[in-house]
Amino acid sequence: MDYLSLAWKNLWRNRRRTLITLLAISLALMLTQTLHNLAMGSYTQMIENGVRSGSGHFTVYHHGYRQDHDEKLAFSSGSLIATLTDTAPIECVLPRIHLGGLAQSSHDSRAVAIMGIDMAAEAAVNPVLKNLPAEQWLRKEQPRDALLGRRLLDELKIHIGQKLVLTVQNRNGDLVSELLRVRGIIDSRIKQIDSSLVMIGLNKAAMITERQGQIHELALVLNNTEAMPQLLNTISPLFNDNSELELVPWQVAMPNLADAIRLDYASQNVMLLIIMLIITIGIVNTLLMSVMERIHEFGIMLATGMSPFKLWQLVVCEAAMLGTTAALFGSVLGSLTTWYLVEVGIDLRDFISENMEFGGVVFDPILRATWSSAWMLESALYIVLLSIVAALYPAFKAARLAPVDAMRHN
Amino acid sequence: MPLIELNQVSKIYTSGNQQIAAIDHVDLQIDAGEFCVLAGPSGSGKTTLLNLIGCLDEASSGTIILDNLEVSRRTVRQLADFRLHNIGFIFQSYNLIPVLTAEENASFPLLLQKVAKPERIQRVGELLHALGLQGLEKRRPRDLSGGQQQRVAVARAMATNPAVILADEPTANLDSKNSSDLLQMMRTLNRNKGTTFVFSSHDPMVIAMADRVIQLHDGRLVSDSHQDSVA
Ligand SMILES: Nc1ncnc2c1ncn2[C@@H]1O[C@H](COP(=O)(O)OP(=O)(O)OP(=O)(O)O)[C@@H](O)[C@H]1O
Ligand SMILES: [Mg+2]
Repeated sequence: MDYLSLAWKNLWRNRRRTLITLLAISLALMLTQTLHNLAMGSYTQMIENGVRSGSGHFTVYHHGYRQDHDEKLAFSSGSLIATLTDTAPIECVLPRIHLGGLAQSSHDSRAVAIMGIDMAAEAAVNPVLKNLPAEQWLRKEQPRDALLGRRLLDELKIHIGQKLVLTVQNRNGDLVSELLRVRGIIDSRIKQIDSSLVMIGLNKAAMITERQGQIHELALVLNNTEAMPQLLNTISPLFNDNSELELVPWQVAMPNLADAIRLDYASQNVMLLIIMLIITIGIVNTLLMSVMERIHEFGIMLATGMSPFKLWQLVVCEAAMLGTTAALFGSVLGSLTTWYLVEVGIDLRDFISENMEFGGVVFDPILRATWSSAWMLESALYIVLLSIVAALYPAFKAARLAPVDAMRHN
Repeated sequence: MPLIELNQVSKIYTSGNQQIAAIDHVDLQIDAGEFCVLAGPSGSGKTTLLNLIGCLDEASSGTIILDNLEVSRRTVRQLADFRLHNIGFIFQSYNLIPVLTAEENASFPLLLQKVAKPERIQRVGELLHALGLQGLEKRRPRDLSGGQQQRVAVARAMATNPAVILADEPTANLDSKNSSDLLQMMRTLNRNKGTTFVFSSHDPMVIAMADRVIQLHDGRLVSDSHQDSVA
């Protein structure tokens, strides 16, 4: 028998109470770890989808383009793309031209956003085109092919194979019209995209506006979001000298998504904080109760010659054991649920039928967690620390007892 | 040089605006190796006096000198240490630690003294054997009879070979057979090892077994006499 085993025995003196407390703390820890990992998983998905459909992990713009989308601020991309793909491990580069214009069918007309794209590159990564069958892809040999959002198509009352006229401004500010044919349907489930997007070939877009070889946006997609800082180091020097262009990370290029994630994470944290607060109350309550009911016994120990400091240590040690046990058990539970959510995930298709949009990005209907081991470890350590801090006052009370008074206590 | 020396010691309790002198100007000297009883009716101050001698409580006035040093000059920590190494307590209500086995309870002071585990087990094993508790070493207090618990408490008080054992009505919860057995054990220890015993009782049979009877009444020492003990 030594102090540790004495502390351990004391902990289990009121078996049921200790078990209930332990279970409550463990479940709360499991819940925080699971929720956190699930949130991280969904953010990862959103960022992945977001960067692939939107701006990429990094985007190259002409200075000033981001602010007012002035179509005049285009830049030549040819040598830049080659340099970038040579310098850095980039999964894919997406050159894009963005134009505002008017789409007219024989029935109706709509204001539209026109995007000139590199079909092969875009189809490989852009989740907006995930549902597009290969036979609906824009063809190189048919520059009049166009992809239209599903709702836009409905509003213009046309179908695949039918004609429409796009009217845009060319580089001199003159209005030019171009006859196109619907090749495929964009079905992204994002309202704004489905009701106003028209995609055409990059070359066609450049030709119409007389900007051959120029683009408005160059999105860089990486294999792995975590490689961003490293990549930034490699490629940012390319943009220092070239004052015409700027390189921005997705957080800057897609502030809506970044804000939505930040907001969601903040509210998540508030919830986790509340859970932690409840745990704290539970721990303090248990420790205080267990000290209060043992005053007589503490009196005996002090009378026998135990020093007050030793008694203080004993009580703190009990708390540390409670906290450690709960942290271990809770982390095991948290790991099990996280493992399930990583491997299987939660299928949201049964709950949400239509709009899978968050911060302007479609997300995967199967919600999956990601492992954030560091955070799990931190939260487990927090539980241990919390238990120790919660024990300080009860332990202090125990150590301050006068042996006679304590022994008279029943 | 007496082992225990009290000079004009008083202990005043204040409850409300009433002051009770639980111990009232007591002078007392006890030498090493004595076997003495504190006698007196309920409320006469026996427990209070034992607590003062055992450094569990502070006197309101007067001086208590133990082992040539005034108690009030010691810090809380030093007092705990002094109790640990010099005093053994036996309480009326046994006061064992419920989560510990008989063996662990008896060796608790040795644990506090940082005695290594094998030695603790050996020393306490011998004691428990001598007290007739062999085979019960692993039992918890709640699985022991009152007499057995009291013997474990005696083993705990004896484990460190203290100079003094203070016992507050050690036989109050025991039947006459167990009472006289306990007294015999205390007597043997007193004779063999020279351990000083100060115990309280209002049982005439127990009082008759002491060498010296210190009589208290309303906190005052009313008589102090040596006698030929029965034991
Ligand atoms: N903590 C206390 N507060 C107030 N009064 C106390 C306190 N402890 C003891 N007393 C009083 O001091 C007096 C002596 O009490 P003490 O317990 O020493 O008597 P005792 O001789 O041990 O009695 P008993 O034989 O019943 O155990 C009693 O009048 C008691 O009421
Ligand atoms: Mg008493």
